[in-house]
Amino acid sequence: MYNFNSMELSKNKRYTFLLTILLFFFGVLSWEFYLRNEGYGISYDDGKEFWAHQRRMVYSPKEESTVFIGSSRIKYDLDIESWIKETGDFPIQLGCVGSTPIPVLNNLAADEKFKGKLIIDVTEKLFYNFRNWPRDKPDEGIKYCKSETYAQWVSYYIDNFLQTFLVSLDKENFTLTPLINKIPLPQRRGVETNQFFPVEFERINKYRQSFMTDRFANDTFQTRKVQGLWKLYGEKGKKDPPTPDFKIDSLIGDIKLKIDKIKKRGGEVVFTRTPSTGLELINENKNYPREKFWQKLLEVTQCQGIHYADYSELTALNCPEFSHLDQNGARIYTKKLISILKEKCGWKFNKTL
Amino acid sequence: MVFNSLTFIAFFSVLLVLHYLPFTWKVKKINLLLASYIFYAAWNPVFILLLWLSTIVDYFVGKSLYDQNNPLKKKLLLVISLIGNLGMLCFFKYGGFLLENFVDLVNLVGIDFHPAKPNIILPAGISFYTFTTLCYTIDMYRKESKPVESLLDFSLFVTFFPHLVAGPIVRPPQLVPQFATPKVATRNQFIDGLFLLSLGLFMKVVLADTFLAPTANQIFDSKEALGMVDAWMGVFGFSGQIFFDFAGYSTCAIGVAACLGFVLPQNFLYPYAAIGFSDFWRRWHITLSLWLRDYLYIPLGGNKGGISKTYINLMITMLLGGLWHGASWTFVAWGGLHGIYLGVEKWIKSRFNMVPANSLMVPNQLNTNSFFSINFLKAIGTFLLINITWVFFRAHSFHDAWQILRSMFDFSFKEKPILQNIDILKVGVVTFLMVIFHWLFRNTKILTETNKWSWWATSFVWAFMLVMIYLSQESTSSFIYFQF
Repeated sequence: MYNFNSMELSKNKRYTFLLTILLFFFGVLSWEFYLRNEGYGISYDDGKEFWAHQRRMVYSPKEESTVFIGSSRIKYDLDIESWIKETGDFPIQLGCVGSTPIPVLNNLAADEKFKGKLIIDVTEKLFYNFRNWPRDKPDEGIKYCKSETYAQWVSYYIDNFLQTFLVSLDKENFTLTPLINKIPLPQRRGVETNQFFPVEFERINKYRQSFMTDRFANDTFQTRKVQGLWKLYGEKGKKDPPTPDFKIDSLIGDIKLKIDKIKKRGGEVVFTRTPSTGLELINENKNYPREKFWQKLLEVTQCQGIHYADYSELTALNCPEFSHLDQNGARIYTKKLISILKEKCGWKFNKTL
Repeated sequence: MVFNSLTFIAFFSVLLVLHYLPFTWKVKKINLLLASYIFYAAWNPVFILLLWLSTIVDYFVGKSLYDQNNPLKKKLLLVISLIGNLGMLCFFKYGGFLLENFVDLVNLVGIDFHPAKPNIILPAGISFYTFTTLCYTIDMYRKESKPVESLLDFSLFVTFFPHLVAGPIVRPPQLVPQFATPKVATRNQFIDGLFLLSLGLFMKVVLADTFLAPTANQIFDSKEALGMVDAWMGVFGFSGQIFFDFAGYSTCAIGVAACLGFVLPQNFLYPYAAIGFSDFWRRWHITLSLWLRDYLYIPLGGNKGGISKTYINLMITMLLGGLWHGASWTFVAWGGLHGIYLGVEKWIKSRFNMVPANSLMVPNQLNTNSFFSINFLKAIGTFLLINITWVFFRAHSFHDAWQILRSMFDFSFKEKPILQNIDILKVGVVTFLMVIFHWLFRNTKILTETNKWSWWATSFVWAFMLVMIYLSQESTSSFIYFQF
C-alpha cells in the first residue's frame, strides 16, 4: 500500500499542484486560441451518443416534428434552422454519414410508439449497397440507444454543453487520434493510404446538421481534393460485383413492409433524392437509372417521392464537391422541400395550421 | 459509471464537497455508501439488488460463522455463503457457458438438444465483489479476523466505489479498520491522490485507448491472414493496452480513495519487468494473485503434498484463475499456459538448485544498475512469453488464436500487410518505453520516485498528462476488466 502520510514536501506539493493547474489551462487555452485563430468554429461530436439523443426525440406528435433518415446528403442539404423558421416544427436528423438508412427505417418501423412523419433520403450507392459497412454507423447508434446507461446519458449532456464553447473538443479533427494519424510518414508498401477529408468539409452544428464552411466551398483546391476522394471511392466500388435484380427487388419489398407498418400506425413517409452534380451525378445516372431504382421504389412502396431533378430551382443548385450542397444551397433546398411537401404531399406544419 | 467519464468528474466533485463538510463521521459514511450505490446504479440500477443481497447474506452469515462453535453448523453456514456468492457468479457469468458446454456434450453423445440461448446480462464487477465478500466469510470461518460490527461499515467495505467494479480486491483487515475513525486526506495525500487519478486516466485514456487499442483491435478482429510484423504489433498493442487499461483503473481507484482519506492496496508493480513468471504474478493483479494463493492454492494443499501435488495445485489455481477472467475456454487456456510456465520455472529452479526469488509475496528485487544485464534479458524473455499468453486472452476463439500465433512465427513474409506505419510506430514506441520504464522503476513505487523529482518537473509531467487526456477525449469507453 502507498503510505501517503510518510511523504514530506508538503509545501512543495502545493506548488506542484498550483503550477500543474496553471500549465494545464495554459496548454488547453493555447490550443483553443490557436484553432480559433486559424478560423475554425464549433463542431459537435457526431457519434452514437448524439444520434441516440436525437433518436429519443422521435416521439413528438406528428404535427410537431419530422424525422429525417438517409446518408450524408440529407445531413448537409437539410438546413435545420430554415426548417424551424419555415414550419415551426423541430426536425430530427437521424441520417448517418457514409451509411444506408435501412437499419434506422427497420428500427423506427419496429417501434410501436413512432407514429410521426418520416423522410427517407436516397443516395443510391449506399441505399442499394449490400455490404456490411454502410450499416455499421446506424447499427452502432441503435445498439447504443438500447444500452445507454444513466452515467453515459449524463456524460452526453455535460460533453454537449462543453462542446458549445470549445473548438478543441472537435473529436473528428483536433483530438490526439486524428492529429497523430495525420503525421506525414512514408506509406507502408502494400497498405492502403489513409484518406482524410479537409477539416472544413464537415462541421456539425447543434442540430446534428453537417455543413461545409464557406471558406471550404470557395476553395477550389479543397473542393477538388474531396472530388478526388469521391472518385477514388467510386473506383473502389467498381470492384464490387453488380447486385443482382432479385436482391434489389427483395430490398424494396422489405422496405414496403416496414413503411406499411409506420403508415398503419398513422405515420407518413416520403422519399427524397437530394442533388448531386458533376462526376457523381454522371456515375449515379449510369449505375442507378431512375426508372429501375427511383420509380420502382415509389411504385412498390406507394409513397410520394421528391426527386430534385424534377424541380428547376433544385437542379440549378451547385454541389461544390459534386455530392453535397453548401450552406446557401441547403437553405434554398430546404425552403423548396417544405413548399413541395405542402403542395405535393399535403403535409401540414404548425405554422400552416 | 466509469472513472474516465465526465459524469464521474461531476459525481466525484460533489462527493468531495460532501466529504469535507463538517458532518459527523456516520453521516459521511452514509454519504459514501449512497454515493457508491449511485456509482454502481448509474450503469444498471437493477443489479443493485444483487449487491444488497450479497451484502446482507454475508454480513449475517459472517457473524454467525464467527460465533458458531458447532463444526457441522459452521460448515453449513459456510456452504450457504459459498452457494449464495458462487451461485450468483455461476448464474450470471457462467450460465451461458455451462449450458453451451452441456449442449456440446449431449450432442456429442448423439442427443439432439438445442435450447434457446440464454440472454443473461453480466452485472459489472460481479467477480470482484463476489471475491471481496467470499474472503470475508472464509476469514470468519477460519476466525482470521473479527466480524464487522456495523452493517454500515460492512456495506461500505463491500460497496466502496473505488474498488467495487474492478478492484483492487480488498480484504476486510485492509479496509474495515479505516472506517472506524473519521478519515480525511492530508494535503499531501489529497494531492498525491489527484496525481494518481490523473496518471491512471492518462494510462487508460491516452496510452490504452488512443495509442494501443485501435491497432490491437484491428489485428485481433482481422479476418485476413496476417504477416509476422502485423501479428506481433497487434499482440504488443494488446499487451500494453491491457496493462494500461487495468493498471490505469487500479491507479485511479487508489487515487480516488486517497482523495477521500483512504488507502487501497497496490495492484500492479511494473509487471513487464518481471524476471520469470512467479515474479510476474507478484507484480500483475497482485490482489487477485494473493486471493488465489490464500483462498485456493493453500487450501488445496499448496506445496505441502509433494512435488506432483504442488504442480497439480498450481495448475488448478491457474486454470480457475483463467476461468475467473471470462466464461470461455480461451481464458482457461490462458490460465493453463501460465500454469505451465510457472510449473516449468519451478522445475528448472529445483532441478538446477537455483535460489528461489525472495519471499513469496515480495517481488524479485534486483540491482538494475547494469541496464543490459542478464536479468534484463531474462525480463525481456519473460515479457515475450507473456505476450504469447495474451493471444489466448484476447482472441475470439482458439481458431483465431492459432491464426495469430502462426502469423507471429511465419517468416515467409508473404502475407499482405494491413497496419500503417503510424500504427507500427505508435505501438512500437509505447511498448519500448513501457518496458524500459518498468525495468527502471521495478524496485520502487511511482510516488516514491515523483517525490524525488523537483516540484516543477513533477508539475510539467502532471500537466502534460492532463493535456494529453484532454486531447484524447476517449471518454466513454469501458475498462476491459469491467467485463470480468
